[in-house]
Amino acid sequence: MMKEGVIITKINIKRQGERKHFQIKLPNDTKYIIGIEYGGRLVSKADTKATDALPHAIAKSEVATVETPYVKAEYVEVKEKGRTFFKRNQLVGELKLQSSEESNWFYAADVFLNDSNIGLGDFSQSGFPVNDFTHGNKRTEEIVKVDAESTIIQGWYLDAIGKAQKTDINYEVTIYVWINVEE
Amino acid sequence: MLKATKKRFDIKITQANSTVSDTFELDKNIVKVHGVLVTSDKDDLLYYRGTQKIEINKEEFFPENYESKLLMSGINVAPKQRYYDLGGVAPGNGRVQITYKDLDDGRTAFVPYRVSLYLDCEMEDEL
Repeated sequence: MMKEGVIITKINIKRQGERKHFQIKLPNDTKYIIGIEYGGRLVSKADTKATDALPHAIAKSEVATVETPYVKAEYVEVKEKGRTFFKRNQLVGELKLQSSEESNWFYAADVFLNDSNIGLGDFSQSGFPVNDFTHGNKRTEEIVKVDAESTIIQGWYLDAIGKAQKTDINYEVTIYVWINVEE
Repeated sequence: MLKATKKRFDIKITQANSTVSDTFELDKNIVKVHGVLVTSDKDDLLYYRGTQKIEINKEEFFPENYESKLLMSGINVAPKQRYYDLGGVAPGNGRVQITYKDLDDGRTAFVPYRVSLYLDCEMEDEL
């Protein structure tokens, strides 16, 4: 019978532009790698844009009521004060994984921590700010299917956020490798 | 007759960078555990600082250091889809153990908070 399991590996990044090579050891009875997920944690308190809270109100609108002499009806004019801009997500780094059995990467991803535009389109202004932890979607792993007979995955990570901000940021990237194990 | 039921178990995190472990017992008439979900009264702390291990019947379903954010669902997710699907696990002895670890994250300041573990279960109507 096949059973699912997950192997967790943490990479610690301390310097800007740091490139890290690492290995992930899988259990001997692993049959397949079936999914990859990643997460992250900021270790040191650095004043970076990535640590800022998400924008709360993206566009403020103003409602004005004007009465015309001809028609006794309300004319409602909506003026947009701030222009709504689509914000770029903060790139944290690049992650690539390679199986020892096959050539080329089987997984490559740009690592982002937050969705900077999660509040876009929320016009309720209800005092319930839109955040990843309140409005975020359910997370699921990215499905891959790779043989895992050699039980070693080669990994590569390159820091981008420290390089972009020209500062050393200490953070952890956690990689989750979902596997199928034969019982 | 089988019917769906939800169970909630709470733990309190009172100290920063601490590990809290607790074991809960499911009702005897629960025959399957279909899903798991974690929430908190301070979602941001759970999201940024939390990791946990979850065992049911001494079988590990989520290992140590599995981030809590991966088991959370926001209000944008349809209520029927919020639970992480375990695929109908037999509860065995009915013991559910959670080992929760709080770890500093540069984006949050610690205050005591509650972590709630929700289980989507199926139970027999009558014993």
